[in-house]
Amino acid sequence: MQLAVNILVLAAIYALIACGYVLIYRVSRVLNLAHGELMMLGAYMLVATASAFSMSPVMAVVIAALMSLAVGGMVYLFLMRRMTGEMVLAAVLTTVALGILIRGAVILIWSAQQYHPRAMLGWGNPVITLPGDARISLYAALLIMATVVVYGGLFLFLRFGRWGMRMRAAGQDPLLAAQRGINLHAVFALAWGLSTFTGALAGILIALDSGLDSTMVMIGLKAFPAALVGGLDSLAGALLGALIIAAAEVGVIRFIDPLLADVVPFIVLIAMLVIRPWGLFGTREELDRV
Amino acid sequence: MKTMNWSILVGLATVLAAPPALAQDALKIGLTGALTGPVAGTYAPAVEGLRLYIDRLNKAGGVNGRQIELLLQDDASEPSRAAANAKRFLTQDGVVMLLNASLSSTYAPTIAEAKRAGVPLLFTAAACPPEVFPPADPNLFCTTAFGTEYDSRAALNFIKETAGTEVKIGFQAMAIPVSRGEIDYAENLAKGMGMTSVAKEITPPPAPDYSPFASNISSAGAEWVWSWAPWGSQIKTFEALRRLGWEGNYLAWAHLEAESELERVKDPGFYVLGANALFAEDLPVMQEITDAAQAAGAEYPANQMTEGWIAGMVIEAALASAEDPGSADSVREAMSGLSVDTKGLRGGSLEWTEENHFRTQQHYKVYRWNPESEGIETVSGWTTFDVE
Repeated sequence: MQLAVNILVLAAIYALIACGYVLIYRVSRVLNLAHGELMMLGAYMLVATASAFSMSPVMAVVIAALMSLAVGGMVYLFLMRRMTGEMVLAAVLTTVALGILIRGAVILIWSAQQYHPRAMLGWGNPVITLPGDARISLYAALLIMATVVVYGGLFLFLRFGRWGMRMRAAGQDPLLAAQRGINLHAVFALAWGLSTFTGALAGILIALDSGLDSTMVMIGLKAFPAALVGGLDSLAGALLGALIIAAAEVGVIRFIDPLLADVVPFIVLIAMLVIRPWGLFGTREELDRV
Repeated sequence: MKTMNWSILVGLATVLAAPPALAQDALKIGLTGALTGPVAGTYAPAVEGLRLYIDRLNKAGGVNGRQIELLLQDDASEPSRAAANAKRFLTQDGVVMLLNASLSSTYAPTIAEAKRAGVPLLFTAAACPPEVFPPADPNLFCTTAFGTEYDSRAALNFIKETAGTEVKIGFQAMAIPVSRGEIDYAENLAKGMGMTSVAKEITPPPAPDYSPFASNISSAGAEWVWSWAPWGSQIKTFEALRRLGWEGNYLAWAHLEAESELERVKDPGFYVLGANALFAEDLPVMQEITDAAQAAGAEYPANQMTEGWIAGMVIEAALASAEDPGSADSVREAMSGLSVDTKGLRGGSLEWTEENHFRTQQHYKVYRWNPESEGIETVSGWTTFDVE
């Protein structure tokens, strides 16, 4: 039972991060290689708000998450918007530069020391005992719940929401969408905002569970294979990809050798690229565009 | 006449505006360190401690009347940047001593550059490379607290004294060569001592969730765990173990963060073993570090600066005892026969000889949180090992 819980927690982490990659790629065909840094920035924003709103911990978390939404939108408006019409590769390289900038800024502002936002907020992390004597921390359970809520919300939003439909339209055919009066810049900014928000949510919950330092950026990178395995243009794919990667990783740690934990997501990714390069739920058409 | 007056004025202004003569005579020391990047938290506080020590030394008049200029360059743990930094220090700045406070991957290029230039290389806050142990490379020196193999010997001796040899022991390392090597050594040593090794978990740097690794240790029935890895990996594995309901004892290496983390975790089953005294001992030298940190508005807590402060003491002693502190050869010669009183920050003086550039004796202490006194307590006083 503990094995299943471990898989679920890891899958939730990967899925919550991976959906940020998918949202931006699906709408603008840009691979956001600064997603790990944006996720980390969201968690550091909690450190800032935890100091400023120490009397109101919930407010600190909500404001940090909302600030991440705003940061994502601003990244598009002030940076990525200028890449519109340029080669996709130029946009991707811009995200690499953005990542370097964020990493430097984080060290300058918050230094390299480790933070524990949960202690700053005065919260505990009680353990929940599940059937089968499996245990899970409160924040790990919240991570799973947040993943369910985010994916459910995104499904409803993209399927039935007015702006969700506009996002899908912009992703399918931006030229036609623009001709139909859809404000592409607003749609792209929304996608960047939502992507950064979900990434930051993962970062905040991980930081609340086990602390925060600048190594968090590497966790963002580890979720990348989950998005690719599922298919970069599919949210359902990201969810399944995360589950596959997490199951493989936890299984290897438990039954083979913990030393392989770092490489197994990439072994699964290579296997997927050989068998089905467009991922589980991706489409050949998307691959041709790339 | 008017022109001449202007010339005099300009000449006078130039003389007045020129930097003091002392600055030209300053002894230059260059440090390449992981000041940014994922592992900066392990190195940057020590570098700040060193900077504060050198600033204080300069304010007090420097070494034999000469100021010390500490040049800092960030290598972000990248070997290529460390090599470029070292080359710049050695060829452009003319440093008399090179310092490395970075990941082991930066060692090879900095060692090569220092050797080529004939300038002594001091490892501080960075893990001591094998070349500083007897018989030492004449050009390499190390002040860093942890010493491979000696740390595990001290840790397992402590566990043996506390729980005997009829104990099931687990090990935790990070997937980096230096950490894995130490834990492999510890596992063999434990078996040789009659302990039962039940788990060895090598975690990636970093893992999003440490529970899968902790589950293995817990389900194997480990009563004790010895962990020798970067701090984040040690503490996160321990906290994951506790979340799983594990009730054993955990011994970790006392990195810079140990003291504040003992206070945060408040778990009497969590021990740290280290070669630096913790600030809970409130020694006069610790007050000096605290005062210096407060006066400078330091970025990091004073209790994380011990490594840098000790490096400062050693640099001061080396330059003070060198016949010609402006000559790298002379500084190296002085370093090869040095004894530095660490004022209680370590268990004894830090001594280097021709053959031993690590230290002739290595001392260890063990601390933990005491819930009754609500403070950090010393569980085991200084234990000494001769370094041969």
